[in-house]
Amino acid sequence: MTDYSTAAVDKSGVLRGLVSKTRVPLGSEVYNRILETLYDEAAALDERRFDDWVAMLGEDLIYTAPIRLTRTGPNRDRDVMRTMMHFDDNYASILMRTGRLAKSAWAEDPPSRCRRFITNVRMAECEAPDQYEVVSYLYVERSRGDNWHNETVTAERRDIWRAIDGGYKLSKREIICDQSTLSMSNFAIFF
Amino acid sequence: MLQRSPLVLRDGTSIDDLIDRNMNEVSLRVMSDEELYHLEMERIFAKTWLLLGHETEIPKGGDFIVRDMGEDNVIVSRDRQGEIHVSLNVCPHRGMKVCTAEAGNAQAHRCIYHGWAFRPDGSFIGAPIEKEQMHGDKRPKEELGLKKARVHLYGGLIFATWNPEGTFDEFLGDAKFYLDQLFCRSDNGLEMLGPPQRFVLPCNWKIPGEQSGSDGFHTLTLHRSLMEGGIMGGTAESIYDNAPGMYGVDISCDQGHSLRCLEAAQTFKMFADVSFEGKTVEERLHLLPPPGVTKEMIPQLFKNLSERQVEQLATCPPQVGGLFPNVLLAFIFAPRTDGGASGALALHTYVPKGPNHVEFVNFIFAEKDAPEQVKRDMLQNAIQQTGTSGIIEQDDADTWPQIMRNSRGAVSKHMTLKYQALTGHHKPDDWYGDGYVYPGFTKDDTQWNWWMAYYNLMTASA
Repeated sequence: MTDYSTAAVDKSGVLRGLVSKTRVPLGSEVYNRILETLYDEAAALDERRFDDWVAMLGEDLIYTAPIRLTRTGPNRDRDVMRTMMHFDDNYASILMRTGRLAKSAWAEDPPSRCRRFITNVRMAECEAPDQYEVVSYLYVERSRGDNWHNETVTAERRDIWRAIDGGYKLSKREIICDQSTLSMSNFAIFF
Repeated sequence: MLQRSPLVLRDGTSIDDLIDRNMNEVSLRVMSDEELYHLEMERIFAKTWLLLGHETEIPKGGDFIVRDMGEDNVIVSRDRQGEIHVSLNVCPHRGMKVCTAEAGNAQAHRCIYHGWAFRPDGSFIGAPIEKEQMHGDKRPKEELGLKKARVHLYGGLIFATWNPEGTFDEFLGDAKFYLDQLFCRSDNGLEMLGPPQRFVLPCNWKIPGEQSGSDGFHTLTLHRSLMEGGIMGGTAESIYDNAPGMYGVDISCDQGHSLRCLEAAQTFKMFADVSFEGKTVEERLHLLPPPGVTKEMIPQLFKNLSERQVEQLATCPPQVGGLFPNVLLAFIFAPRTDGGASGALALHTYVPKGPNHVEFVNFIFAEKDAPEQVKRDMLQNAIQQTGTSGIIEQDDADTWPQIMRNSRGAVSKHMTLKYQALTGHHKPDDWYGDGYVYPGFTKDDTQWNWWMAYYNLMTASA
């Protein structure tokens, strides 16, 4: 039974990016190839090439964004709440979302102009072969219409990428935003 | 009857200039006027009942959440006896926030500034160095507790008000008959599935507020993607011929609350072949349980609701609506791609953050007795349809700020919002409950009643 109560503390709700100890060193072949994949992915999303993006996703994809909840005292670092999410998606629901974007989705029509900055990329090998844990920082600037105020998101992304067919596919992503109250009007864009 | 007093702004504009009761028009200026905003905080948000959360958020003694009543930050806490209290999160000593967390468990809330401490019921425990009596001697300890609001629990929902007058039943009025069908239908009630999603939009609270007064019409165009996605009846080409989801019975009352009651078969493609013809209430409930209700829970409906309430729930359930001033409710059928149709139950509050911003707070529910997998599905349905990333409400969140920008122009602000497509109250002979009843195509009546509730509170004598 899940304890959904707001007051309840999830002891695992601490921000700890990389779990595996088997690091993929910076500059190694695998590191470079996955980093390149992250850059290609950001470009596909910034350029709104959603078919190209979906082609990078595994069909086992789990795509979530837990909320943050400010706590104090002994629980002050347990502020990631996975009982509630801003995104709770899988491969099929992502297809539903990208399909909608191709029709009447006023939240992105006219489209936002986005710039996704991916930095602080750390990688490690998972226990399962050919799977990599990839933790990155995300900074998004989103411009809408003629509004001179951009909306922004800062987050940590915790991914699992799988080596397949000479490339990499995303099989899991958790987007941990820094704000407990978001200043972005909606998540009609992907991270 | 409430006594009325005229409301005139500093530049001589009266509320009757802004809200034209003969023409059913509201000046766009009301969305950005700062003077009006401050009066709203005093006359509406400090006077009426406001939704803060749900009792399942704080199940244990000492559990607390921090929420807002207008721009007043409050601590909602449960004491050891199980009673829920709402106290202003302002230290009576020097005005610091007593509680800087958003949730947790504490038997005492100690202000970090000078250490004054308070119990979950708001009462003052004391200041540090008791022998020096750092709270002085002019006021007894009984007067130094946190300021408390009146609390009412309805179907587990936590409401509070600063107003010493007025009962919660008076606040709900005729809407209670319909709301009971959503909140008071099961033995163990609803459970909130995790803390609310929260995000801030650059628009005045009344822009989503007036839409929550059961604006059914916008679904057809703003939420066109629901039709294109094949969820609602018809196809993209036949949207305006079929007008899915437009026909039903809209309900409202003098308090400004409203509900849209819709037959599932008339709304959703996948239910179009479900025939209720000649079926008993119980058979109908089994054919198509109301959103959020499992077949196993159907006997509970008969136990907790009146015969007429169950009959309506089985036939033409309330699905979307709002409570004045700032609550939207969506208890909707949510057909899933994997064949499930467990529904999505969501409530929003639109919390004012100054005249130019509103915090969208999205509470998501399931029946407490529902199986774990149903809860999981319903949580996912609600997240994918409503709130931050919801495919329905993304489009609302992008629209409202653009209305806001328009409300500032010297010329634009004198444009009016028009509520002139009116059905007029006429209750069908066999209709279930009371209140103003508007059958047929959804029109502007309920939203106009929202503005009348606004007008009445803004002009009520203190």
